[in-house]
Amino acid sequence: MAVLLLSLKVAFWSTILILPPGIMAGFLLARRTFPGKSLVETFIMLPLVLPPTAVGYVLLRLLARDGPLGADRIGFPLDILLTWKGAVLAACIMSMPLVARTARVAFTEVNPRLESMARTLGSGPARTFFHVTLPLARRGLLAAAILGFSRALGEFGATVIVAGNIPGRTQTLALAIFNDIQTGRDEDAMRLLGITVVIAFIAVWTVELLMRGGVPGSTAGRIREGAP
Amino acid sequence: MIATHDPTGVESSDGIEIDLRVPLDRFKLTLRWSTRERFLGIFGRSGAGKTTILESIAGLRRDARGLVRVAGRTWLDTSAGIRLPPERRGVGYVPQDLLLFPHLDVMGNILAGRPRASGRARRDGGVAPDPERVIECLQLDSLRSRRMDSLSGGERQRVALGRALCSAPRLLLLDEPLAALDAPLRRRILPYLMRVREEFGIPAIFVSHDASEMWVLCREVAVIEEGSLLMKGPPGEVFTGERVVPMARLDGFENLLAGRVIEADGDTARVAVTPELVVTVPGEGLRRGMKAWVGVRAEDLILGLSPPERISAQNVIAGRVGEVRHGASRAEVMVEAGGSSTPLVVAVTRAAVDQLGLVPGRQVHLIAKVSSFRILAWI
Repeated sequence: MAVLLLSLKVAFWSTILILPPGIMAGFLLARRTFPGKSLVETFIMLPLVLPPTAVGYVLLRLLARDGPLGADRIGFPLDILLTWKGAVLAACIMSMPLVARTARVAFTEVNPRLESMARTLGSGPARTFFHVTLPLARRGLLAAAILGFSRALGEFGATVIVAGNIPGRTQTLALAIFNDIQTGRDEDAMRLLGITVVIAFIAVWTVELLMRGGVPGSTAGRIREGAP
Repeated sequence: MIATHDPTGVESSDGIEIDLRVPLDRFKLTLRWSTRERFLGIFGRSGAGKTTILESIAGLRRDARGLVRVAGRTWLDTSAGIRLPPERRGVGYVPQDLLLFPHLDVMGNILAGRPRASGRARRDGGVAPDPERVIECLQLDSLRSRRMDSLSGGERQRVALGRALCSAPRLLLLDEPLAALDAPLRRRILPYLMRVREEFGIPAIFVSHDASEMWVLCREVAVIEEGSLLMKGPPGEVFTGERVVPMARLDGFENLLAGRVIEADGDTARVAVTPELVVTVPGEGLRRGMKAWVGVRAEDLILGLSPPERISAQNVIAGRVGEVRHGASRAEVMVEAGGSSTPLVVAVTRAAVDQLGLVPGRQVHLIAKVSSFRILAWI
């Protein structure tokens, strides 16, 4: 059970931490044009295509004692490597592409003319974002959060490099399954497998339901109402 | 120029001043319009650039250049580098697709512009329009907690109007407020628009391609074609203008008359346009003392040289031929009658012009059945 609790804790914190930047990135990609936009887009998507171990290695080099964010350089230790915080960081980076992409789709489906309308009614850009854009994109954003959470729950490659595989301290579900297989404890592996299947099934199913329900004020909704 | 230049936006005078240039796909929109009237209309075919003008005034078109000044406040002056964002302009925009907020109920929508309204009341020491008064005026009371997708077309229209009014706008922008509605619904919404005009007195610009609507709602009309100003002036003048008549005639040219109901017996009513020009029209809910707007098509008016005797038609009006315009298949005879400033347009065949000898100055009689008249609006 300690494995499951730690996994949930890691996934929870990484979701909380990645949502604000992920939503912001999704919004900028959906609504703004700026020079180098496609480069930024590609950079955000990188963890999706790189081998997770490669991403983990980059983080390891960054956080190593003599790395750019190491104790030698910044003067105090961040204490991230080989702790559960390391697992959170790895999960964050690995789920960023999924969160940003899903958030971007959620924002694209909000009719920008509704935002213009809010502006004419006296709302500044920030108020418009929080009172109109965010509520209208809420289903898609919830889906982004769930996908990010699931991705964090299953993260292996980057986690094992940044946080290690210390039972009781940094050993998450994915790492424990690997361990059990390696040491021939097939029954334990099967039990953990069952847990992950249930969690993953619920998550993906919820996302499907959220996405299919359609977003109010989205393109699909406008066509249904027959407005121009 | 109406207002003195004042970038701080302090109220120094009344009126609307527009000098806009907006690049569009097929042509460039240019409009220069300066007026002290408070109820303005923009008339033109679809695709003429009418909506673009409203969006430019609202601040939603970043490619709009030139000048927009409303009630002494400068909203746009590209030569001075002024471009107020939409939230600082204070418009009440009702676009054609309404853009109601689907995540809020009716009350939430109506109060969406409330923070601005209260803020403006605090700053200017004025009073923001009471939402309850707006709800009463637009009869929205029973809809308060309804969701947007459960509303009918007319209800949606009223909610959008209510939302605009409650935001304490300095200028209302109404884009085809009646176009999406069918004829019976149109007749129910038009009185609301007129009540809003009378009760709240907020300056407004209406956009429409329906001449009769414009004429009922506006004091001054600009006719736009292909992005440029074709004509402007009081509706009566504009809609009988030679260049505008073909546009207004899209579904039959209509003579539009406004007057006071002096008699009503249920079946018919008598409307005095001028003391000498009184027409008998269908009763349709008109009561003595009301102001009524009626229309009659040019094709439904008959011209005679002498007053007909023993005829069923209730309207026989003496007049004088002002001008005769010859079209491809028919002629339009302008008849001045009863001291009205606007001539009545009568469509006749070219043969009839020759047979009757219809030349300017000729005394004629206009004949029309009661049922030829259409009641457009009343208050």
